[in-house]
Amino acid sequence: MAPFWLLKKLPGYMPPEGRWEHLAEPYKGDEVVVLDCETSCFDKKKGELLSVAAVRVKGGEIRLSEALDLTINSNAVTDPDAVRVHYLRREDRRKGVAVSEAVEKVLDFVGNRPICGFYIEYDRAILNRYIKQLHNFQLPNRFIEVSEIYVRQKRKYIPELQLDLTFEGLAKDLNVPVIERHTAMGDVISTALMYIKLTHFNQRR
Amino acid sequence: MTIQINLNQPPFSFLSEQQLEWLTRRLDLVFFAAGAVILDEGDVSPGVFIVYKGVVEETGKNGQQVFSQYGKEDIFDVRAVLESSCKHRYTAIEETLCYLLRAKDFIQLLDESSDFSIYFKTDLGTQEELVNQRSNDVSEFILARIDEDSIRPPVYVTGQTSLARVATIMEEQKYDAVLVRTARQVGIVTGTDLLRATLLGDKTKQSKVADIAQFELVEVKYGDFLFSALLKMTQHHIERVIVTRDGDIVGMLELMDMLSVFSTHSHVIAMRIEQAKTLKELVVAARRLEILIDSLSGQGVKVVAIMELITTLNRRLMERAFELIFPKRLQNSVCILVLGSEGRGEQILKTDQDNAIILQNEHDREAVLPLLQNLHQALLDFGYPPCPGGVMFINDSWINTVDGWVGKVQRWMRSGRPEPMMNMAIFMDAEPVCGNRGLFVPVKASWQSESLRSSMISAWFAKPALQFETPLTFLGKIREDHGTIDIKKGGIFPLVHGVRALAFEYAISACNTLDRLDKLHELNVLDDETTQGLKDALLFFLRTRLRQQLEQESDNPGLNQQLKLDSLRSVDRSLLRHALHRVKKFKQLLVNHYHLESF
Repeated sequence: MAPFWLLKKLPGYMPPEGRWEHLAEPYKGDEVVVLDCETSCFDKKKGELLSVAAVRVKGGEIRLSEALDLTINSNAVTDPDAVRVHYLRREDRRKGVAVSEAVEKVLDFVGNRPICGFYIEYDRAILNRYIKQLHNFQLPNRFIEVSEIYVRQKRKYIPELQLDLTFEGLAKDLNVPVIERHTAMGDVISTALMYIKLTHFNQRR
Repeated sequence: MTIQINLNQPPFSFLSEQQLEWLTRRLDLVFFAAGAVILDEGDVSPGVFIVYKGVVEETGKNGQQVFSQYGKEDIFDVRAVLESSCKHRYTAIEETLCYLLRAKDFIQLLDESSDFSIYFKTDLGTQEELVNQRSNDVSEFILARIDEDSIRPPVYVTGQTSLARVATIMEEQKYDAVLVRTARQVGIVTGTDLLRATLLGDKTKQSKVADIAQFELVEVKYGDFLFSALLKMTQHHIERVIVTRDGDIVGMLELMDMLSVFSTHSHVIAMRIEQAKTLKELVVAARRLEILIDSLSGQGVKVVAIMELITTLNRRLMERAFELIFPKRLQNSVCILVLGSEGRGEQILKTDQDNAIILQNEHDREAVLPLLQNLHQALLDFGYPPCPGGVMFINDSWINTVDGWVGKVQRWMRSGRPEPMMNMAIFMDAEPVCGNRGLFVPVKASWQSESLRSSMISAWFAKPALQFETPLTFLGKIREDHGTIDIKKGGIFPLVHGVRALAFEYAISACNTLDRLDKLHELNVLDDETTQGLKDALLFFLRTRLRQQLEQESDNPGLNQQLKLDSLRSVDRSLLRHALHRVKKFKQLLVNHYHLESF
């Protein structure tokens, strides 16, 4: 990635300012945040945020006790198909928090740590859309794509290897339990386990 | 976020709803690669780990000695949290996922819930008790109905019968009340009525029973709830009611019988054994024992109590059969011994017949042999499988005179070979049950002489306790062993035999392992902790084995020694591990005591 001072000069780059300025500082710790969003439909531009979950991962440890698990009080009309995927009916969302509050909480939780996920590009786009609206900047954090690490490791020696790159496929190949698939929190835990296994375990050997 | 482990089992079930809710929010998840050391000796544990997936092994510092293994829902290392640091090394054998409850949160729960803290801070016995208290099923006695099991068939006399004759009939039938039939009606007369009429009233032995019988019968219907009969008895201040079906009298229901139905059927069975006049009736009673064991165990009766009750009933059963088969003349010139587990009073479900006989006179042998065959057959009918090793009084080597037995014991003891030693071990648990018990006294005295005990013989005798490996790495090998362990070889036999060897050395005459342990404790051979630990371990083995034996469908569930590990609750697995650990320690004690390492 280009240095921060250079990035700031790029047209279209929107760095955080004021309250969120620290997000753009380089990260020195050894934690990552694993994050997952569930949306009303699977579309970067239209999908409305319904729930978001995130945990901090340090070494082999998943800090479940300090996890973030938010449901958003959204009126978005959900695709009946999507409901079947994430089970968040409009009724379930009534008790949730306002989307602006959720976004602030996520930003506080994440700080300047790297953000990791499965198909993280989608979550990044969704979050950036909201953050741009509310605070007029885009997440400067480093993003880590779990499936990318997976592919890189697998194809290191056999470049033409056929891989099953679905969430379930990865979980199966890595022998990681799939916990409550399609709840934000469940997906986050499975993703975090994949991440630990791909990075932490291999470094030891 | 729901937690992927079952929190509805001890120790978590001791927590309140709110505490559980709080607990689930305090758990972290930790992922370990295969081979990773989770905790090492001297480490301060961050908290207690609850295994979600994978296997963790507890070893000594250099990884040589394996203490224990932990599988799904097992908890470690509580001691490291309660004390200052970890004493052993914990290694993930497979990739392992554990929930981690931080030390301060765990301690907070201990402070808040006394049951929860008692579970962790106390020894095996108390832990087990606590678990059992919680898992008892609600007894269904309140729903029991009047049926064949609870009533006695009626015994009738005519109104003209003399009081003396009625008394004789009552004595013969072992009934406390009989029905009196006259031309017009049916009445009842009880033992108390007879006493009152003759001793307090003016009736004589020759008076007619119709004069004192009561003709206002209190009736209940067959199939009614038992407690409705109880209510009627309380209302009328009586101890028995008449049971009718479609208007006909089918039997009598006694208060005593009913109470025993309420608290299992043990009294009824005891009564049937006493009242049996043929072997066939005894067989019926014997076959009922298993149902009794099942219901006692289901009601959460302690295994010690079941053991005592069943031992008493078994011996009584054998004695009755003996009385029916042997003529009076021979009854006093023989002594029948039960050996092995039956002799120790530790047999619950029938395993095999281990028995022997002492003859007073060698010339009775010919007369006794066919009778022994009959008794053997009766025992088979009662459901005792034959002893595979042939330790039975139908075989010549287990029939002897007093002198013969004394000589045999000496030969066994001095042989120094494993086989005679095992015979000796079986014989050492002998308990005389029928016939002339006096015959056994000189035989028993023959192996309690000082010269035998202090010699090499006691070491030779103790050695078989080490014969089988303690299955302490069972969790990792679960697939290889098809998920089972042999609880007799792995746990019960070494414990029982080791205690037997010590009992032999210190000339303790008790046979029951628990009694022997108490005596050894009194003699300061074993310390408090070892004694209690071994008792707890033995009872746990027996209870767990019994539970699994009862669950399976087979003709002789008592023969099965395989313990299925996956059908144990995780808390029982952890108790089993502790118990096996005790046995392992005890074996080490035996090695040191008898210097067995040089054998």
